Amino acid sequence: MAQIVGGFLVPHDPVMFVAGDAAPADKAEKVWGAFETCAQRLADSGATTVIIVGNDHYMLFGTTCLPKYCIATGHLEGPLDQLPGLKRGQIENNEALATAIAEHGAENGFDWSVARSFTTDHSFSIPHQLIVRRAEELSGRSIAAIPVYLASAVDPYITTERSRELGAQMNAAIEAFAGDDKVAVIGSGGISHWVGTKESGKVNEAFDRRVIDSCCSLDMDGLASLSNEEILEEGGNGAMEIRNFLCAMAAVNPVSTDLVEYQPVPEWVTGLGFIELKVA
Amino acid sequence: MKRDVLERVLWSLSIDRFSKEKFKENPEKFLGRFPLDAEDVRMILEFDVKKLQEVGVNPMLTMGYWIEMSPDRQMSSYNKKLGSESEYSASIKG
Repeated sequence: MAQIVGGFLVPHDPVMFVAGDAAPADKAEKVWGAFETCAQRLADSGATTVIIVGNDHYMLFGTTCLPKYCIATGHLEGPLDQLPGLKRGQIENNEALATAIAEHGAENGFDWSVARSFTTDHSFSIPHQLIVRRAEELSGRSIAAIPVYLASAVDPYITTERSRELGAQMNAAIEAFAGDDKVAVIGSGGISHWVGTKESGKVNEAFDRRVIDSCCSLDMDGLASLSNEEILEEGGNGAMEIRNFLCAMAAVNPVSTDLVEYQPVPEWVTGLGFIELKVA
Repeated sequence: MKRDVLERVLWSLSIDRFSKEKFKENPEKFLGRFPLDAEDVRMILEFDVKKLQEVGVNPMLTMGYWIEMSPDRQMSSYNKKLGSESEYSASIKG
């Protein structure tokens, strides 16, 4: 049977790519180094497939259809929003496992939207390039990647509790999957950040620390209890992405965590946290 | 209702190449195919991102359409339009 080998909570900050020099060098070095640490740990985990839980930024899904949660079960490429150093390309999916998660969901009260041919955005492609692709280089083995997209940036938002329930369903589906896959799950999102609003550039370190403490103590109840109003006020519209963290945490069901790095970087408009989710 | 159509227009102007070309050729004609009132049209043509956000348009769309279609496409100008002096932005275009 498939086995869950761990996971990570990491940011997907595009400003790192388009304005890399804007941040102080010591902070930048720590953030890039944290991605490298996660890549090394992913390589060491033996993972053969990674599920990346991200969110659309009102690019992929237009006004004609806004899914609460979507999984790519087929052809995969991206990102749509290419960045300097992050170019579009074909991506190896694990179609059998992705399809099994969707089918398991259908039988258990989770009606997944599916994408048969999907183009990612940076929320998938940044951790994919900096962690998954890098882990392939470090380990010398191929690692497939499955995108899961939650409505974390465009309302109507998926609720925090439903995000957690969805992660638990993913956990059950993976463990029921008749394959020898070793699966890791990445929750992709910034902590406090304001995107496209007049507060852009503000970082609320107190809020970030609160979220990190909840994640590191595996307090999913605490994280799920944050109201939309509280998140928007304290962490900004970008912080709604903590739904991605909740989903990934529930999918991994870790027994412990390790805070790899945290850096508040106003120049990159985001509180950037890196947490490893450990299963043993 | 107003927000819905505005978001459709701004999403098109952020993402869809055909819509961008048509808007550049003749913005009034392009906007004429949508059920927009005079104030809606003004907000879009004047890139009044502050007002667009006040009527509920998602800030990711106001930013996306600004980056793709505004005259100078500079995020410093966008921030000023919003009433912010911030020199930082989450723009993916630098």
